[in-house]
Amino acid sequence: MDSILAAILSANYLAITLLIPLAGFFVVTAAPRRSRLPFFYALISSLAAFVAALRLIPPVLAHAANFTSEIDSPWVEGLKIRLHMGVDGISLWLILLTTLLVPMAVWATEKMVKERRKSFFAMLMLFEFGLIGVFSALDMFVFYVFWEIALVPMYLLVGGWGGPNRFKVSVKFFVYTMAGSVLMLGSVLYLHTLTGSFDYPEILKAVSSGQTSLSSRDQMLIFVGLLAAFAVKAPVFPLHTWLPNTYAEAPMPATFLLAAVMSKMGTYGLLRYAIALAPSAAHRLAPWIAVCAIIGIVYGALLALVQTNIKRLLAYSSFSHVGVIVLGIFAFDQQGADGAVYQMLAHGISTGALFLLVGYLESRRHSLEIADFGGIAGLAPRLAAVFSIALFASVGLPTLCNFVGEFLLLQGAALANFNWAIWAALGVILSASYMLWMYQRVFLGKLNVAIEHFQDLQWRDWVPIVPLLLLMVWLGCYTQSFMPSISMATSQLLDSTNMNNQYRVKLDAAGGGVNAINAVAEVLHAR
Amino acid sequence: MNLWLIPFCPLIGFLLNGLLGKRFPKQLVNIIAVGSVAASFGLVLFSLSKIYPVDSVVTEHGFTWIQSGMLKIGFDLTVDRLTAVMLLVVTGVGLLIHTYSIGYMEHEEGYARFFAYLNLFMFFMLLLVLASNLLLLFVGWEGVGLCSYLLVGFYFKEKFAGDAANKAFIVNRIGDFGFMLGIFLLVARFRTLDFGAIAAAVKGVPIETSLGGLGVITLLLFMGACGKSAQLPLYVWLPDAMAGPTPVSALIHAATMVTAGVYMVARMSFLYDHAPAAMHVVAVVGLLTAVFAATIGLAQNDIKKVFAYSTVSQLGYMFLGVGLGAYSAGIFHLMTHAFFKALLFLGAGSVIHGLSGEQDLRHMGGLRKVMPVTFYTLGIASLSISGFPFFAGFFSKDAILSAAYESAPWMFWTGAVTAGVTAFYVFRAFFLTFFGKYRGHHHPHESPLVMTFPLMVLAAFSLGGGFLSVPHWLAPLFPVAEHEAMQPMIISASFGIAGILLATLIYVVQPSLSDSLKSAAGPIYTLLVNKYYVDELYSATIVRPLNAISRTVLWRGVDEGLIDTGLVNGLGSAIQSVGSVLRRWQSGSIRNYATWILAGSLLLIFVLGLATQGAR
Amino acid sequence: MPASLAGLIPPVADYLRILPEILLAFFGIAVMMLEAVSRGKRTYLGVISLVGIAAAFVTNIPGLIAGPLIGPETAFHRMLVVDGFGIFFRAVIIGVGFLSTLASLSYLDREDSRAGGEFYSLILFSMVGQCIMVTADDLIMVFIGLEISSIATYVMAGFLRDDRRNNESALKYFLLGSFATAFLLYGTAWIFGLVGSTNLEDIRKWMPENQTAIISVAVALVFVGLAFKVSVAPFQMWAPDVYQGAPAPASGFMSAGPKAAAFAVFFRLFMTSFLPIHERWAWLMWGCALGTMFVGNLGALLQTNVKRLMGYSSIAHAGYVMVALTAASSIGVSAAMFYLVSYALMNIGAFAVIGYVASRHERFVRIEDLAGLGRREPATAALLSIFVFSLIGVPLTGGFFGKFYVFQAALNSHLVWLTILGLVNSAIAAYYYLRIIVAIYMREPDVATMQLEAPPFSLRLAMWVSAIGVLGLGLFPSALLQFATNSAATLR
Repeated sequence: MDSILAAILSANYLAITLLIPLAGFFVVTAAPRRSRLPFFYALISSLAAFVAALRLIPPVLAHAANFTSEIDSPWVEGLKIRLHMGVDGISLWLILLTTLLVPMAVWATEKMVKERRKSFFAMLMLFEFGLIGVFSALDMFVFYVFWEIALVPMYLLVGGWGGPNRFKVSVKFFVYTMAGSVLMLGSVLYLHTLTGSFDYPEILKAVSSGQTSLSSRDQMLIFVGLLAAFAVKAPVFPLHTWLPNTYAEAPMPATFLLAAVMSKMGTYGLLRYAIALAPSAAHRLAPWIAVCAIIGIVYGALLALVQTNIKRLLAYSSFSHVGVIVLGIFAFDQQGADGAVYQMLAHGISTGALFLLVGYLESRRHSLEIADFGGIAGLAPRLAAVFSIALFASVGLPTLCNFVGEFLLLQGAALANFNWAIWAALGVILSASYMLWMYQRVFLGKLNVAIEHFQDLQWRDWVPIVPLLLLMVWLGCYTQSFMPSISMATSQLLDSTNMNNQYRVKLDAAGGGVNAINAVAEVLHAR
Repeated sequence: MNLWLIPFCPLIGFLLNGLLGKRFPKQLVNIIAVGSVAASFGLVLFSLSKIYPVDSVVTEHGFTWIQSGMLKIGFDLTVDRLTAVMLLVVTGVGLLIHTYSIGYMEHEEGYARFFAYLNLFMFFMLLLVLASNLLLLFVGWEGVGLCSYLLVGFYFKEKFAGDAANKAFIVNRIGDFGFMLGIFLLVARFRTLDFGAIAAAVKGVPIETSLGGLGVITLLLFMGACGKSAQLPLYVWLPDAMAGPTPVSALIHAATMVTAGVYMVARMSFLYDHAPAAMHVVAVVGLLTAVFAATIGLAQNDIKKVFAYSTVSQLGYMFLGVGLGAYSAGIFHLMTHAFFKALLFLGAGSVIHGLSGEQDLRHMGGLRKVMPVTFYTLGIASLSISGFPFFAGFFSKDAILSAAYESAPWMFWTGAVTAGVTAFYVFRAFFLTFFGKYRGHHHPHESPLVMTFPLMVLAAFSLGGGFLSVPHWLAPLFPVAEHEAMQPMIISASFGIAGILLATLIYVVQPSLSDSLKSAAGPIYTLLVNKYYVDELYSATIVRPLNAISRTVLWRGVDEGLIDTGLVNGLGSAIQSVGSVLRRWQSGSIRNYATWILAGSLLLIFVLGLATQGAR
Repeated sequence: MPASLAGLIPPVADYLRILPEILLAFFGIAVMMLEAVSRGKRTYLGVISLVGIAAAFVTNIPGLIAGPLIGPETAFHRMLVVDGFGIFFRAVIIGVGFLSTLASLSYLDREDSRAGGEFYSLILFSMVGQCIMVTADDLIMVFIGLEISSIATYVMAGFLRDDRRNNESALKYFLLGSFATAFLLYGTAWIFGLVGSTNLEDIRKWMPENQTAIISVAVALVFVGLAFKVSVAPFQMWAPDVYQGAPAPASGFMSAGPKAAAFAVFFRLFMTSFLPIHERWAWLMWGCALGTMFVGNLGALLQTNVKRLMGYSSIAHAGYVMVALTAASSIGVSAAMFYLVSYALMNIGAFAVIGYVASRHERFVRIEDLAGLGRREPATAALLSIFVFSLIGVPLTGGFFGKFYVFQAALNSHLVWLTILGLVNSAIAAYYYLRIIVAIYMREPDVATMQLEAPPFSLRLAMWVSAIGVLGLGLFPSALLQFATNSAATLR
């Protein structure tokens, strides 16, 4: 631990980014209960974390392929567990996303959460700490530790501040996720017994260079264990049934974070660990996982089509979108991987914005049943306008963020197996349908008689929304600020899996074949 | 020269009016909205004059938009002769319609919002036209779809407006589904989406005899076109889209956006040329649509609906043209259609405006005295669309039909007959509006100059537009077969005239005839009035089943029933039941426990002893 | 006098080696005496015994420091062996005793039992017994230690004479306990018959050459005797009833001290004397470990009484330690040692809180009675949740690292399926532990929590120490792990 202090003194901004929320947690806990101090402390520390996280960008842009601003200090000598953390082109953007969204959650909490705010803020801080850790951990053990750290506060948030049947839902959420993650722990342990190390880059080097060759059975065991954890978290069909209830019961700021960042833990894990450490197993199971992902896409969209509650509708839609990301990851090609990372970011922003706006709706109407709304665009034109922008972003309208991600993901899937793309693209149609129908029933048409007045956006509502809107456009129009670093990292990851060159892409309809390896080659030349 | 300025002028207009329009006075809103379009019109003229004659393709590289692996997509704009035509049509007609809207929208609320949307549309449409790669074109493609959604649903308090808007967007999405897949296959095959690069790459490829890879790609792209340009079976959204304000119908749903499909096919001609099978499909779909929509047009009573179906039908002609390889003819008709159809809609708008919102032909009549300008301009437009000799429509339609005459006579004859039908229903609407005696109860009045002036300009073009010979202008891109056969021209024209005369007979000379005709047609008539029940068919076969299945089977059945209650909670309760068994095992009585201990230890001893018998 | 006789008199060094035991015994007797003559509050007796335990701990320290270095140093004619392993466990036992005493101070004067002092002396005596167990080098000594420890705990279980539950618990524990001990004794007899000695070293030497099937019967008998003490299936049935009935501090103590001691014996026997016939009992361990985990966790799922729930949970945890024993490797031993330490800390802590909330005559021992503790007593609730999360095995707690080492040891011995099933178990366990969290944080305060006043200093101290210990082990496990590894190395 002392070497962390050393790292801070040598201005390692990752260490700082990581420790600020932790400090924030303690400060908030220490703050007097019946005052606004907890709010200020939480806000300040989360913003500080964001500012610190911004300082992670330059080194990554400098060389995104390898890990920058690393922390590497021994933790448990006995087991060669090291507190090894670092940032590359993949994790950087997720860390930034997290640190950007948590302040917004804090800000929103002030209005949306009525009681025991102090503990709420404390939990938010702890959650942020866990997430940053998850995205920056480079030691499998440390990764697992942060994985669980992120789970506990979220569980307490859902259970402590959620809706009427929060007990059942939150416990289900915890046990379901726990069941997945203990199996991941098994994989981590097994990997350790096989390679004698917990250090991700080390293992990756050993495995990809072939100096430690894992038997296909070992790979399968490891992969399945990891998959269990990640597939539950993402979630991948059919392990998703915790999601709609949890999203629906959770307090708004928690749902906001659940959908925007926590779901990314799963997809990130799949990309960073599952396919990287057990490539051939991943390759073997890819068709099955792809099928599950595709079912999730279409099925989630169809369920969203018939929801009567806005929050549940968005929950299913988010589930459906995550399916696309998973599909892209298991396409094992440059476009798929790039799209996956890009979409994690974009989806975080668009879905986050949607849930935030839904939070505004709820705090005004005290209900989220679609039937309780109708025609409020007349009373709250600004809210309606902003909502429509976020909506079109999430249905993947070009010039807004999701389009780039989804295009690359589907393109990647199409290169891997065109049939995947055909089915996955159905989700594109459906997403437009359920979103627009929901929008019409909520905002358009005659004003619902039950509503006498409906407050439009106030300045405090604008604060978190405006940056999100700007980001939607930025991500949609000028991808070059993000993409190069992502491509560098993903191409690195892809060829460290030795997957590309084995992976012959078949194109049923177009005949011509593309071998993704030269995709990687080209991206490297392109720099 | 800065091509990017052309689309960005309207974008700035959109931003200004969209963000601050509420606070602006109407005058300022007008200046910004119309001014921005005028600016881009001017820029178009200026830049074209600089590169006139546009012999070489001018491409302007912007920034890299998306780069991933071998796929690199830039924000690049390009101008060639085809683009030039489109640019002029879009900005020119757009400018007129913007001006017209000042008058038309005067009393509407959300004035600034309307113009903001209109400007945004101009931006995306120009982007679509200028794009030098398919994905950028797709950006414009989706963008105009968005604007169409926004403008169709402009009167958002009305349910039908919202429904129409959703329908427009979602049906287009179905088309775009194909379009996206087409793009994916193109990337898979050519590793690029730049038109130039693909064209170069495809040169070597032999022309496919049967439906091959390129055929699939082109058909998928055409699926997108079917959505955007309202062809069978995806045309259903366009008639409903008339829920939007009339200028919108004129600009988006007649002159520009709906022709994007035709433009796309022409733009990708180098691919279509290699896939004759796909070409054939395009032509057939176009022709069928032309006939189908025209017949529906016969029986509509809403003036805008009539023109909407005629739009669908005319678009069918254009696809017939491009499908037969006569790209220039298709584009030619696209241009003239832009003139006379915009004019028809604006005229209709002027009528509706004059009758303060009345759209039903049955409540019009005898308006030619009251609104002369509208009368004459609409007359010219009607003649033009009917292919009356030497009007604009005559030349373009002839170009298409003679192409058909060359390749497939049956197509020609069907097209010619349809031309007659077109002439008939257009003039039916015309006569019902302006002749006979007034059947409504409002107080009709002629529209202000700001509205009638665009009418006159468009009338001029509908009259003389045919003499701007687009085919020759486009010849470098699409070599035209010099066919000087007079028969097709004469035949089609005579069909048109016949249609007009028939309409005159029925609706002017002998009005009673129309009712007897209706009763005579009986079932056919009702079939036409109800548009062949296509909407009902779709909702019965797709929309409702999908909802029902999703709700009952998937949601309640599979998700909550099978997976959650069945598997997840089932597992949980199974574990719990084991727990309760164990609980009962704990009887609490010492004797019982002691027995268990004894039993357990005997078991252990026995088994352990047994197991180790082998070990000596 | 004849030299032979002189040889019989143990050297002074031997007495020094067992100085902690002597001190504990002395203080135990002293406290009992004082109890007899004292009037009014007995708290000071508790303080005295704390002093005694502290003293014992201090005298144990040199051994701790030198612990890893000194090999098996037999004493009293190879009756005891004071090696690093034994010293380690002696430290654990003394620590457990200290915390339990600390936790029981306020409990006892709340229950104003007339003979509070006896409780402390009982703790001391049973500690003596346990210390003997962990350093025993002879089956006879094992038996004696076991009996000393057990008899004391039987009485503790029934300490509040006029409480029905106490009596029942004590009686059950006593009858079944002596029943099980009989097995141990019987097994010892068999071994003596076969080997001609009860000394562990002799057995160890004897094993390899002449292995008969009979010996495995003897092993089985010994196994039963010990398995009962550590509540391993199928001999676990007493645990829930006894833990539920006994006074909370007693339950806490029983679940930590005697269990640790019994496991120490387990390891000493099976990792040394019986190791040669490892392949015979390995699968037996495997089955018992698995069965114990499942019985414990599944049984706990539907419990409503917190103490009973903790009883089942203690079974489950015994199962995890058995996994380490199944691994039958030095890693396994050190893992188990680490596990037992962290488990002792979190369990004593949890029982301290439970006893505190239960309030006078333990009226409130249902899970619902914890409702709203988070509102009424945030600090205590936070501590309890630390203990619970540690019991679940959430990272940064001792409980997590314990499980982690155990399963790592298992995997190192290629027990893949046992590991997977064990991990699944820890997920199942989360379900019932979370019901405690739900109660304290997500429900509104109830009668039980409404009438609570702040916990007394001694109790708070006990809880805080345990909590800090749990977190400490979670954050910086390496020190203890290192120590455990070295101590385990002396086991041969």
